[in-house]
Amino acid sequence: MGHNAAIFYIITLLVYGGVDALACLGLSIQFGVAGVTNFGFIIFQAAGAYAAGVLSMPGDSANGGFQSYIAGLDLPFPLPWIGAAVVGGLLALPFTLLVGKRLRGDFAAVGLLVAAVMANLLVTNYRPLFNGSAGLSLVPAPLQDSFDPQSTGYQWGYCGAVILLAALVYYLLHRLTESPYGRTLRAMRDNDVVADSLGKNVLSLRLSMLVLGGAIAGLSGGILVGFINLWAPSGWGYAETVVLFAAVIIGGAGNHKGAILGAILVPLGFLEASRFIPPFGSPGLIPALQWVAIGLLIIGFIWFRPQGILPEKRRVNIGFVLPGPQRPERLPGSSTKVATLCRRCRVPPGPQPRLRGPGVRCFASTRVSPRFHPNTGTAR
Amino acid sequence: MLEAVELTRHFNGVPAVAGVSFPLVNGRLTGLIGPNGAGKSTTLAMLAGTLPVSSGSIRYLGQDITAMPAYKRARRGLVRTFQLASEFKRLTVLENLLSAVPSQPGDSMRGALLGRRYWSAGEEQAIAEATTMLERFDLTKYANHYAGDLSGGQRRLVEIMRALMAAPTVLLLDEPMAGVHPHLAREIGHQLVALCEEGMTILMVEHELSIMDEFCDPVVVMAEGAVLAQGTMGELRNRSEVVEAYLVG
Repeated sequence: MGHNAAIFYIITLLVYGGVDALACLGLSIQFGVAGVTNFGFIIFQAAGAYAAGVLSMPGDSANGGFQSYIAGLDLPFPLPWIGAAVVGGLLALPFTLLVGKRLRGDFAAVGLLVAAVMANLLVTNYRPLFNGSAGLSLVPAPLQDSFDPQSTGYQWGYCGAVILLAALVYYLLHRLTESPYGRTLRAMRDNDVVADSLGKNVLSLRLSMLVLGGAIAGLSGGILVGFINLWAPSGWGYAETVVLFAAVIIGGAGNHKGAILGAILVPLGFLEASRFIPPFGSPGLIPALQWVAIGLLIIGFIWFRPQGILPEKRRVNIGFVLPGPQRPERLPGSSTKVATLCRRCRVPPGPQPRLRGPGVRCFASTRVSPRFHPNTGTAR
Repeated sequence: MLEAVELTRHFNGVPAVAGVSFPLVNGRLTGLIGPNGAGKSTTLAMLAGTLPVSSGSIRYLGQDITAMPAYKRARRGLVRTFQLASEFKRLTVLENLLSAVPSQPGDSMRGALLGRRYWSAGEEQAIAEATTMLERFDLTKYANHYAGDLSGGQRRLVEIMRALMAAPTVLLLDEPMAGVHPHLAREIGHQLVALCEEGMTILMVEHELSIMDEFCDPVVVMAEGAVLAQGTMGELRNRSEVVEAYLVG
């Protein structure tokens, strides 16, 4: 592999990794945090990709009219990416019916899966929509009029933009998850009927999560189609959703860092590594075995380590006694409230006498800190 | 305060509750007893909005709330607990309590995105309330434990505390003493009476008659989906139909 080819390969991996991380983050907030099992997740990414495609492409009479698709608005960057996120989010609205009060949990998941299959069949067989099974090609790269998309500089820039967007989405989702709103989402995940009876509008929460996750998935699709310049139904079958679920489960459902790790390990790492397996058996055997391996990975993790590699962290309040061996101690005469906790709550210098034995509350209610810190204890 | 008027509920044509009517007395701990299958939990679920009614109506604070969804009833102070322990298993005890606090600034997507500075004051106040509640029920040392890791009785307490954190005007308790140590059950009973003296109205489904004897007044007896009798436990013990249907049945 030549130098330029190696750089291109690395950039491609990074872009794919960023796109997969975005998609897994979208699924992480839906499934890992809010408990909405969206087996139709891939159609939101596909919708974003198609939206970005037809928003950035000229009318379908261009290029000899060999393609047939709607819109063709020839919009400049970044409108196609914004449009991708908006379309991904808006697509969630009709699916509210599937995750509403009448259809919940596993039934809603199956409903979404069927919707994904139907959407794929529709796009494949109705050519005027997005050029049928052949899909869209010659999708313009962002800013291709100003820069050369084939240049290394452009590709590094593209890569940087993807990683930056993934980091921004991670930051926003982290902010959501570690707030009272995130706590409500996790409560809904654990028991939606009880959350409802405590004044939480479960339908609205589910809709919000479908829209948010859909917008993130749509954005990831828009970014991907701008990089690979084509998009076809064969690339977003329902099985692709399984890969994303595998990533989130293996990385650690409910932990956004786990979702990113899963994106690196499964869609990127695992599938990429299997490309280097020497060919054997009949043609198509290795790709088929990839799917078998993905399935076995999911089963294995659900069986042996359901919390994933990076489990969801317990949110402990530093004003109270911690469960297990890590117990906080109060420092008499000190304004510092906690002596021994997680890495962020380091023990200050100086003498640290133990006040009372374990199992004793550390602080009066008026002195309880409102800050939650994830400790190193793992979720069950 | 809260009144059930001719409530009925059918499951595939089979009546579970048939024409139940009773008002809840303000500031009192009302008991609801009856044999298994009498329709107590179904009635409570209809009052809370968890189950829709087949017919009849529910009035709360002078308003017909029959068609109002459960979450809106809870926001207006009509809060329930469940027959089976229903803690949020993967939330800590403290988080369980905080999850019920109404109108928190950070409990919306906008509020959450505005950041900790926007909602930390409200959160601190909620934690202070939760701390008081944990002290009241002597569960402070379990604040950072996952609720799913607690014993059955402790989980019951978490559920009751959580319902109280929702600032209810009317509290509907479905067998809150089930699985709780008798000594602790009496402690809970005293706490509930104290809450009623502070102005809360409580309806409690319970099987333990000694609890009813000691804490509930009045008591509503249901049998076969209908209200059989109402009164104090002393009065009910003298009613032959009650004795026949439940007390010795």
